[in-house]
Amino acid sequence: MKYAFFVGCTVLSRLPGYEKSARKLAEKLGVELVDMPGSGCCGTTYLETLDHKTSLAMAARNIAIAEEMGLDIVTVCNGCTEVLTKANKELKESPELRAEVNEVLAEAGKEYKGTSNVKHFVRMLKEDVGLDTIKEKVEHSFEGFRVASHYGCHMLKPAEILMSDDPENPTMMDELVAATGATPVEYPSKLECCAGPVMGVREAVTWSVGLDKVKEVKEHGDALVTACPFCYLTFERCQLMQENNPELPVMHIPQLLGLAMGLDPDEVGLTHNKVGAKAVAGRLEG
Amino acid sequence: MTIKVTEEAKEFRKRVLATPGAEKIMHCYQCGTCTADCPIAKRVKEFRPRNIARLVMYGQKERLMEGDLLYLCAGCYTCYEHCPQEVHVSEIVSALRKMSLNEGHLLPGFKALMEGVAEMGYIYEIDEFANEMREDDDLPPAPEPDTGGIEAVMRATGFLGKVEASTR
Repeated sequence: MKYAFFVGCTVLSRLPGYEKSARKLAEKLGVELVDMPGSGCCGTTYLETLDHKTSLAMAARNIAIAEEMGLDIVTVCNGCTEVLTKANKELKESPELRAEVNEVLAEAGKEYKGTSNVKHFVRMLKEDVGLDTIKEKVEHSFEGFRVASHYGCHMLKPAEILMSDDPENPTMMDELVAATGATPVEYPSKLECCAGPVMGVREAVTWSVGLDKVKEVKEHGDALVTACPFCYLTFERCQLMQENNPELPVMHIPQLLGLAMGLDPDEVGLTHNKVGAKAVAGRLEG
Repeated sequence: MTIKVTEEAKEFRKRVLATPGAEKIMHCYQCGTCTADCPIAKRVKEFRPRNIARLVMYGQKERLMEGDLLYLCAGCYTCYEHCPQEVHVSEIVSALRKMSLNEGHLLPGFKALMEGVAEMGYIYEIDEFANEMREDDDLPPAPEPDTGGIEAVMRATGFLGKVEASTR
């Protein structure tokens, strides 16, 4: 298995723990992730709301790089996943849009052909690697560790575009959590947005959403796993800002999987986690 | 407040309706599912997706374009998924943001973000120092984005020019 690896701005510059664990986990599973030369910002979900054609062109420029490599794209960011998947779908379906966008892409010396697909890392694990392979590789069971999954909106929605899991009852992440021996836990606000996208407009709203979720998860579980840089930052930062830090461990899902497969805390970048890293590492020793 | 549906208001509504994704606004029967399920509406009293739909139906442009109302949508697509009439309020908000930008307005934070992408190729600068930090983590250097190509794409559509000329 070989993919073009689209890391995305925020993970590249802010979350080495996520990127490192994803890369090491892939290696462990025999999945080759190839960096994409010349790739840059996907366009952002904000741009989608500001200009349709520019949004398509920015996404298509990156997809065209994967096409040149002859590979499908794997992403670790929900925002990038949504932006690239949506553009890919629209452009594959409409020859008119494709022609318009290619006219723009010529400015960057690129051509979009529609020959690559886009997938979130989590979906790649579930669909391409498979739960059986993952279970076979587990060396350290997280038995008794209660883990809540926060999927994040753009891995799932709009469902008619993402086609990845049931947006009302997603199971992909919970199945991966269960594969490590941990117990997946349900909590009432599981499907609620982290409100990360309004951080720059009304910061207090984001922290309020984050903290409500953290408190709720704490009642049901021992840790929260995420699959999106913005969700992770929301749940980590909202706790760090509290005088009484709730100290609910927040982890990137490949960190949990990597630890279960025998990678050490440094290999999964656990030192970068600012809340609860010690509690998680303690689990490994116990 | 009394609402008067003037010719100007009708014209505005027509323009919103003509934006892809916002075509179904008149199908809204004000059930409020969108507002009940909106994570922002639970915490910000002036942000009510149902009201946004209604205000568009009555062509109340000024009230919609006021302050940062349009930028409070997190784009989580909950209303998109849950609307029984497939009105897709999130897409209506997008249509209004596009219209606002076409009229020369953009929130300063969004303007800075987009200009930054055109300049750096990423939303943050990933410089030599950042790459040294990455090396310490056993990570390869970040792909060097084709900044010239990215800026050219953003300019060719006319988007970057609009962003640069925009005011709040």
